Amino acid sequence: MATEMPVDQTLDCKGMLCPLPIVKLSKAFKTLEQGQVLLLLATDPGSQPDIEAWKKRTGNELIQQSKEDKVFKFWLRKTA
Amino acid sequence: MSSILYVHTGGVKTPERSATPIYLASTAAAMDVEVGIYFTVNGPQLLEKGVAEKLIVPKHDGEGAPLIRFITQAQELGVEFYVCQPSLDLHGLTQDDLIDDVKMIGGAAFNDMALDADQVICF
Repeated sequence: MATEMPVDQTLDCKGMLCPLPIVKLSKAFKTLEQGQVLLLLATDPGSQPDIEAWKKRTGNELIQQSKEDKVFKFWLRKTA
Repeated sequence: MSSILYVHTGGVKTPERSATPIYLASTAAAMDVEVGIYFTVNGPQLLEKGVAEKLIVPKHDGEGAPLIRFITQAQELGVEFYVCQPSLDLHGLTQDDLIDDVKMIGGAAFNDMALDADQVICF
């Protein structure tokens, strides 16, 4: 994708370790409207499998992910 | 909704074991799982008023966080706290000595919850 997709909310969890990124993600998602997109930034190396598990269990959608330097980026859409 | 019941037996003498069941429970709650923690054996010590503020969960670099931070986070996420009555006795505690929002249950109620839960995880 040439340009980054528009997001409704950005959640910066850089430097945070488990369980904070997932806990903050869960709280942030409760404030989103159906269909809105949140961009999560994280440096926890465990965040990738954790996001996979979280979206599987909650039914929300992981649209895209990337890693630049040590920062993981996850674009998540509220679908549940 | 899926459900997990954690059993927490660690007390104040093992601070390195004190936070893990609580933050796993928080993570489960954040995954929309119904979660409870049953504090038994030495676990009720962690719920005594004033204890978790002082109990530091150690980190290798010495900059640990107080356990109360993990407890507050879990309760805010809707994790239910249960305590075993006989193990309160073991430590000379009563429910009045404990932090708020802890439900006292006995063995039968615990077993009933365990049978209803999708998973029971013991620490």
